[in-house]
Amino acid sequence: MRRLGSRLRRPTTPALLAGAALWLWAAYALWHTTASVPKGPPLSPHRFFSDSFLDSSASYERFLVIDGLLAIVALLVVLALYARRGHRLMRESAAGRVGTGMLLGMLGFGVVWFAELPFGLAAVWWQRDHGVSHQGYLEWIIEHFLGLGGTFLFVAAALAIAMGLAGPLRRWWWVAAAPIFVGLALLFTLVSPYLVPKTSPLHEPRLAEARALERKEGVEGTKFVVEDVHRFTTAPNAEATGLGPTRTVVLWNTLLGDDFSRAEVRAVLGHEIAHIAHKDPLKLAGWLALFLIPATALVELLTRRRGGLRRPEAVPLALLVLIVLQLLATPMFNLVTRRAEASADWSSLQATHEPRAARAMFRRLSTTSHGSPDPPGWTQLLYGSHPTIMQRIEMTYAWEREQRP
Amino acid sequence: MEVKARPVRLTIADDLQRGRGSVFFRLWFAIPFLFWLALWGIAAFFVAIANWFATLFKGTSPQSLHGFLARFVRFAVHTYAYLYLAAEPLPGFGGRPGYPIDVEIDPPVRQNRWKVGFRLVLVVPALILLNAFIGTGGGFSGASEARTGRIGLLFAAALLGWFFALARARAPRGLRDLVAYGLSYAAQTWAYLLMLTDRYPSADPLTAIGPLPVRDDPVRLESSDDLRRNRLTVFFRLLLAIPHLIWLTLWSIVAFFAAIGNWFAILFTGTAPAGLHRFLASYVRYQLHVGAYVYLVGNPFPGFTGERGSYPIELSIAERAAQNRWTVGFRIILALPALLLGAAYGSLLLAVAVLGWFASLFTGTMPLGLRNAGALGLRYSAQLYSYLLLVTEAYPYGGPNVAPPPLTANSAFALPPRGI
Repeated sequence: MRRLGSRLRRPTTPALLAGAALWLWAAYALWHTTASVPKGPPLSPHRFFSDSFLDSSASYERFLVIDGLLAIVALLVVLALYARRGHRLMRESAAGRVGTGMLLGMLGFGVVWFAELPFGLAAVWWQRDHGVSHQGYLEWIIEHFLGLGGTFLFVAAALAIAMGLAGPLRRWWWVAAAPIFVGLALLFTLVSPYLVPKTSPLHEPRLAEARALERKEGVEGTKFVVEDVHRFTTAPNAEATGLGPTRTVVLWNTLLGDDFSRAEVRAVLGHEIAHIAHKDPLKLAGWLALFLIPATALVELLTRRRGGLRRPEAVPLALLVLIVLQLLATPMFNLVTRRAEASADWSSLQATHEPRAARAMFRRLSTTSHGSPDPPGWTQLLYGSHPTIMQRIEMTYAWEREQRP
Repeated sequence: MEVKARPVRLTIADDLQRGRGSVFFRLWFAIPFLFWLALWGIAAFFVAIANWFATLFKGTSPQSLHGFLARFVRFAVHTYAYLYLAAEPLPGFGGRPGYPIDVEIDPPVRQNRWKVGFRLVLVVPALILLNAFIGTGGGFSGASEARTGRIGLLFAAALLGWFFALARARAPRGLRDLVAYGLSYAAQTWAYLLMLTDRYPSADPLTAIGPLPVRDDPVRLESSDDLRRNRLTVFFRLLLAIPHLIWLTLWSIVAFFAAIGNWFAILFTGTAPAGLHRFLASYVRYQLHVGAYVYLVGNPFPGFTGERGSYPIELSIAERAAQNRWTVGFRIILALPALLLGAAYGSLLLAVAVLGWFASLFTGTMPLGLRNAGALGLRYSAQLYSYLLLVTEAYPYGGPNVAPPPLTANSAFALPPRGI
């Protein structure tokens, strides 16, 4: 009986294999909910961009990539040190097990904020130097410091759930915690449109164009808003956010100046509406679930030496484990988002039938944000959440090719 | 002992008796003294510059300049003590000793030249704290404070004291002591600014005005805080408190409805139901813990349950007792004066938090005076909420006080005076 009990408590190899197979099947199914997009003919970036721009954008991006990599190294070093010594901060808490864990979690991110501060400032300096950002250094520091409050709240809530469940469920807290986290992520996606600051409604005639594109892409009831970002950047951007009744397309007001033609803005609108039509925010939650289930299980496994997440002293190590897993999963997430972005580009073309405008928009996206249109493959693997500008331009040619009789 | 050791000491020989006529016309009677104080202030400004140079070169304030400025400080204290109803008789115009609220200032001694040289910079934190004491209606008052609705402790105490004295022909001890405490700090700050001493002003209410009343209030503050502060948690203090502030907000909503239930229950039965009393007492205690953490009066991250004995800045709340139904019925109206004073204490707490943040970040220690000033504000706030939520019928005590010694020895209390 004792042996049987211990077997039941310990996950056996078949159970692990079954879990892995289930995971792979779910990932495969989720992957195929997004249609693949034909690749265009390989083109030289010199056809679309001047030599000087290609040189300067490559140099601009190289600095940011190196700065980002150094920030990651600093993050890992600091978190490793924190994982070793962070438990000493337990004496700064008069709260119980869960409260102390929350404190250690928040302080871990506080320490990370300090470690990443110089790299963030270097990035701001570089962006200001290239005219991409207008934000002052102090303003940036204050904004990031206040933003840390949101991180603290998120970490505290996550730890309260995980450690709260680890009390009664012991080693199996993650089985209950992962679905709760996914539920919270969905809730966050649902309310996220209300968290975008400084927005105003999109006005005519662009609103009418947006509604027309909506009809073509088979969705309706999307809210269109404009976010004022002039204060800190000149770079253009847009996003699709929200779920169901809250789904919203947010356009940065940098898109609506004289730099972008109406046809180019239509291309952006078509792209963002496509995200909504494809239910990409919901699919992202699905990918998050696929990440969180094994990640939380690994956190439990790797913190077991310190008593598991039931004990606050395990929290600094749990942070390290989670951040390392997140870094390792980033290329996979980038693969997923690149596919979704390519699919949205394609749908936008299907709705607008304006490949020239799309090409002009991609070109301008690159020049205004000073981003390299054709970055090295390894940076694309690590940082590329979207296809490269050249891949997107090539795709417009693929679309034209498909339209020919 | 420490009161004597300070070079600038406030003494009190006031018997709390007030004449109604003198109280009613207090502001008008004070006008000549305020006018004279303003004139004297102009002279003191130039003398202070001369004193600064002299002290910088000689290392000691010259006797004549020191005497003139000491009399100016004394006269300022007399005038404000009169204006704010901390004393009854009209003060003299010469700033001579003998007024019921008086200041003793030690003769000139050698001062650190560095501290003298940078005095105008060094005095800034003390002036910030002084502004919290004086605020609207005081010597440093300005339109900006009135616009933002900030109210100084002395003004609030004087305003409430005016009504009380008019009705009862005596000043309430708590409010009188609160004014005296503010004037003690003001005198120390002025003396420091005018180079009469290089001893930095202390905001400690326990040593500001001599012997304090021993009160056995049903809601008492107890401290076992050792003043040590962790710099990392101090730096992120406000952000770390966010989960607590959210939890406190949620708890406040429930406490609001619980208080309404408590109100009806006491009106009918005369006593709070045990469950509601316990719940609301825990809420008040939790509020104190969070306040102590946010305002740096305490160091560790507090728990989320308001459990007794879980925090170094702790609240002792007496068991439920029968309450007068009349005072329960009109509790909200009766609490209005206390709410006004509570708002004024809020200004003090804010100043304590800002100054304490810098001090703790640089030294790793919270200054004792600031900690105790903050604790006083928190104690008042806890008593106020206990009164408002019908946890007790004892009216909040406005001034500093000490609690009686415990019946059993408790070595955990590091500070000699327990309860503020």
